[in-house]
Amino acid sequence: MTAKQVKVTINGRAIAVPPGTLVTDAARAAEVHIPVFCSHPRLPPLGACRICVVEVGMPKRNRDGSPVLGADGSPEIAWMPKPQTACTTTVADGMVVATESPGAVKARKGVMEFLLVNHPLDCPVCDEGGECQLQDLAFAFGRDFSRMDEAKRTFVSEDLGPVVKKEANRCIVCMRCVRYCDEIMGEDALTAHQRGVRTEISSFDRQPLECEQCGNCVEVCPVGALTALPYRFKARPWDLRQHITICPWCSNGCSVRLGVRGTEILRARGTEHRGVNQEYLCVRGRFGYAFVNGAERLAAPLLRLGGELAPAGFDEAVAFTASRLREIAAQHGPGSIAFLGGEKLNVEEQYLFQKLARTLGTNHVDARTRLTAPLPGDAILKATGGGRPALSLEELGSAGEVLVLGDDLQGEGPFAQAVLIRGQHQKDVHLTVAHPRRVKLARPKFRGEWLGLKPGSELALLNALARAALDLGEPQGMPPEVAAGLPALRQALAAWTPEKVERATGIAPAAIAAAARRLREAPRKAIVFGRALVEHPQAAALLQAVENLAWLTGALTAERSAVMAVGTQNGTQGALDMGLVPDRLPGYLSPADAAARAPLEKQWGVTLSAAPGMTAPEILKAAAEGRIRALWIASDNWLRSAPDRALAEKALASVELVVVSELFLTETARAAHVVFPAVSFAEKEGVVVNCERRLQRTARALSPLKGARPDWETFQAVARALGAGWSYRGAEDVYREIARLVPPYRGTGWGTMLPLGPRWASAGAPAVAGSLTPVADAQPGAGAPAEGLWLLSGGVLFQQGSLSHRVELLQRLAKGARAFFGAGELQRLGLAEGDAVVLEGPAGSLTLPAAVDDSVPPGAVFVPYAYPEVQVNRLGAPSGAGLRVKARRAGVTASVGA
Amino acid sequence: MSRGPLLFKDIDTPGLAGLEVYRGLGGYEALAEVLAKMSPDDCIEVVKASGLRGRGGAGFPTGLKWSFVPKDTPKPKYLVCNADESEPGTFKDRELIEKDPHLLIEGMILAARAIGANVGYVYLRGEFAWIQRILDRAIAEAYEAGLLGPSVAGTGFRLDLYTHLGAGAYICGEETALLSSLEGYRGQPRLKPPFPAVEGLYRCPTIVNNVETLMNVPGILANGAAWYRQWGTEKSPGTKIFSVSGPVRRPGNYELPLGVPLSTLLNEHCGGMRDGFKVKAVIPGGSSVPPLPASLLDTPLDFESLNAAGTYLGSGGVIVIDDRTCIVDALWNITRFYRHESCGKCTPCREGTYWMAEVFERLERGRGRSSDIDLLDEVADNILGKSFCPLGDGAAMPVMGAIRHFREEFEYHVTHRRCRVNRRREELDALRSAPSAVEVTA
Repeated sequence: MTAKQVKVTINGRAIAVPPGTLVTDAARAAEVHIPVFCSHPRLPPLGACRICVVEVGMPKRNRDGSPVLGADGSPEIAWMPKPQTACTTTVADGMVVATESPGAVKARKGVMEFLLVNHPLDCPVCDEGGECQLQDLAFAFGRDFSRMDEAKRTFVSEDLGPVVKKEANRCIVCMRCVRYCDEIMGEDALTAHQRGVRTEISSFDRQPLECEQCGNCVEVCPVGALTALPYRFKARPWDLRQHITICPWCSNGCSVRLGVRGTEILRARGTEHRGVNQEYLCVRGRFGYAFVNGAERLAAPLLRLGGELAPAGFDEAVAFTASRLREIAAQHGPGSIAFLGGEKLNVEEQYLFQKLARTLGTNHVDARTRLTAPLPGDAILKATGGGRPALSLEELGSAGEVLVLGDDLQGEGPFAQAVLIRGQHQKDVHLTVAHPRRVKLARPKFRGEWLGLKPGSELALLNALARAALDLGEPQGMPPEVAAGLPALRQALAAWTPEKVERATGIAPAAIAAAARRLREAPRKAIVFGRALVEHPQAAALLQAVENLAWLTGALTAERSAVMAVGTQNGTQGALDMGLVPDRLPGYLSPADAAARAPLEKQWGVTLSAAPGMTAPEILKAAAEGRIRALWIASDNWLRSAPDRALAEKALASVELVVVSELFLTETARAAHVVFPAVSFAEKEGVVVNCERRLQRTARALSPLKGARPDWETFQAVARALGAGWSYRGAEDVYREIARLVPPYRGTGWGTMLPLGPRWASAGAPAVAGSLTPVADAQPGAGAPAEGLWLLSGGVLFQQGSLSHRVELLQRLAKGARAFFGAGELQRLGLAEGDAVVLEGPAGSLTLPAAVDDSVPPGAVFVPYAYPEVQVNRLGAPSGAGLRVKARRAGVTASVGA
Repeated sequence: MSRGPLLFKDIDTPGLAGLEVYRGLGGYEALAEVLAKMSPDDCIEVVKASGLRGRGGAGFPTGLKWSFVPKDTPKPKYLVCNADESEPGTFKDRELIEKDPHLLIEGMILAARAIGANVGYVYLRGEFAWIQRILDRAIAEAYEAGLLGPSVAGTGFRLDLYTHLGAGAYICGEETALLSSLEGYRGQPRLKPPFPAVEGLYRCPTIVNNVETLMNVPGILANGAAWYRQWGTEKSPGTKIFSVSGPVRRPGNYELPLGVPLSTLLNEHCGGMRDGFKVKAVIPGGSSVPPLPASLLDTPLDFESLNAAGTYLGSGGVIVIDDRTCIVDALWNITRFYRHESCGKCTPCREGTYWMAEVFERLERGRGRSSDIDLLDEVADNILGKSFCPLGDGAAMPVMGAIRHFREEFEYHVTHRRCRVNRRREELDALRSAPSAVEVTA
């Protein structure tokens, strides 16, 4: 430590801490317990509850600065006349703190007694009982009887929406919930009504909360004033087994503490002092576990014999799969077999999935089933710096300027959104949000700018930003191979004149120039992108454009700055790392590189194909055309995720063998010949990699559902039936092989990932070299309609991925599928809210109720993709700059329930 | 007849609230000269030398407070006049603004100039709507006369003044709660440090001064520190307005040099007690300070002497409690006020005031126990010094002071299950026989 340390003595223990440390934190370091209620590590000090009162003094000084010594030679202390709150007092050099002096004890006991004046003694029927801080502290510091025997003031309990139950009688007015909701969630959904002893927390209008329903207010409540309705009266905490694992819902990789009784998950909570997220969880993480115990889970393999899928034994299903794969490979060559999906698996399973494919002799393996155009397997890694140290989410929350490109983090990475909102309040983070819709982070209440680009002008905006950044002068610190591309890029960018860009994007040139300047000049900056760019038909060009912008603004060269890719699933990064792509082996090695293949070939005992395979959209086309004859789809509802539903249906109908490993009998599984029942995140162990490229251990909280198996077991069984000599005893064996063979993972192990795993970065040279490369102008795709409404799709908070509709609460919160229009657009279409609207795309049409959402720009319609009743890919695959659809009123109007 | 040497010298002049009369009596006369000849730092030094101390209750040296405003900050600075006068027994600011609004404006101009503020707010107590109208009229006159606006009195110094009516919470008289309320937030005190002088309104340097404090400024800057020190004592210079209430012959506002004995105020100025009442106790500084027993009536009214007597000068709200008033009843009344006005932010004040009121009610209803007196004392002691802001102390100190000086009256309540004396007895008997314990707090 270079910073000057401050010496403090707490209860006689001397300790040195950095200046500015709060006494509560210094005491923790000195292993002295100071109780707190209103104080919270992620919130600024409040000093309201007063339970942390301590006595504080400074040594008396003589005129010459020397300490005044008492009769016994020890320095005399000038104690402050009143006790101080440790949670608001910062240390000073020489400070003396007493938590057990008579004055401190009296003050603390006094506050403890006050806290119980109006607190009901209903612990036996309180969900917080057993893990209640007030209960614990009453046990530690309270009297064994109450001197307050008059009537307590009472409130009526309220349900604040479907997740929060409020028992205001128990409230100790620490305001953690209100502050958390405001400072970290940016929701401002809670407030305090009235004052004094009548202070009551509620929503502003005392109506059910209209918010993200994250339940973090429940989490941070130190007492049972706010409890979770889904868990109400379900269990006593000491009856629950607690298992800390990683949330499956997005790529942020939050730690989640599952409370399990028997084989049932009864609740999910944050982890307080662990994980990237600590106490934070979003609504999906906190309340989205119900699918694990879903009644419709597959509990036996299914085999299509004689036309119908029928339950079969595991060995039978394995033997059938292996023999059919062998036959097809023999007849049509291994190139007729493709492996799709696996973005939701642990890295061990992802590794084995591609190992199975490549052992069979095919490189047709791609986890990225939602791609609408081919994309190199290392494109995301290259755009994020090729393996340079990634930015942690914590660091993202203290970057001066953050550019969020095209993603609605509320749906795609709720914790990343919370990090940025907290950064706004506590670290002066400035946001630039480029999104056609005015998403939450682009709202005026946040400090930042919204670049509301016209749909389809993503490339124009990125090029314009790059040009504006370049106009600010030569970028510094680029590696030579990157800098070499500068002249050509400069020339190409010259074509992006402000007039042209404004015409294309609808954004004033000054706003673009200002955004580029902010990014360029902020000492610490970050660019965040995700699904919107990766699944774009121009993904390859867009990702290169992001990289260009990053080099030109210093996002890849400045200290603690970076580009972050928010993956679409919690296993997205792992899938890329594990080579679940057709053109990269595990660790981003090229199959064309014999030296890179060699160690794998030696370990696997096979000869690997040097030719890259087909990407997911190419596999889709090839399967529909009969060039692919066998498909294995792992944990992916392909009929939903494939960009073109009609084509995917045709493909599934034409392929001779479809193997699906899944939790549920999805539409895709129904079309399969073999279905292997898989297990959920809570029933298996392994490693997942989050958007920080952090390796995190998942833990098994439940035994697998009877009849279901982790995918790695299925992959191994089929590989063995095909003659491979695999003999993994568990997922950890697989991981050991990964740690040996996959360069970025070298030296890691399950044992090194607790409590928080390491973030991988390339040792030495980046895994993928960077470049500055001009990217072409957006050309409308061939055959794409030149008019109509731009179709905006994406995940939303309550419905995302293929499992959210299996969680009743999320389904209820999502309020049914709708097509969202701006109010003006709806009027132009002659439609009213609730009218059924027909959307017609190049390949098909959809009918669903229309709704108003003023975040949707004119000339566009927003249809979230994850509603079970909406098959957005029926409309056809986006091409060129995107997908345009026609909207008209349906023949019959339908009313939609709220 | 003049009611006081300084602020009250001309207070009853008809039409003083208008600019013309105010000017006729010498108002704004020295303004241009002071602005032209004295630098802001000079002004601060003179106010420091005058020994002027805040008249809102805490008595913090005004010049020193001003000197805490950072000199080189890019942020705007604000001057806020605290006219939230809500301390029970205090009604001086009301009369001052009502009758002499231009003196406040003149004081604010000079204070704003000294600290470098170009915007000033007057935060008025919610019930002061008519005073807001008077002040707004005076401010409009001042703008008209070029005394406010882009160039105050032609000096190039810009000052804009705004009035703001509170929403009726006592806590908003506490300066940080006032600022929260002024910003549109819930009126609750904020953590100090940072002090408002460094980070106040909208997180910018802000000076919050009481009405009476600001009104003392024009005289001090026009005539100098030595002139001001002709009144008062060495450590408490100047005059103070005392708002006297209770059964004295002439209750009302009196301006006296600091250091005059309490008995002089009551006997000479207020004409002594009316209707044969005798003094039992006097709360000298608004309801938040401990009462003085009749034996200490000769205590001089200045900061130091009252501290030595175990109480505070506070806001100068002198509440006379007579010998036919039950001290327990009086304190119950005061405690209910604090229970009602506690903002609820911190535990000791929120819960302690509620609890004390419950115990008082028990005593009043004749159900008190002998342990209740010590319980009250201890609850009050557990609030004292542990609450977030001084409101809790203000609730605790009167109770502790009353028990210290009048313990036998509390004991009488327990043993006889009624007040020893009480001219509200009939009222209380009715309460005692009421079936329900429900009490309306609103």
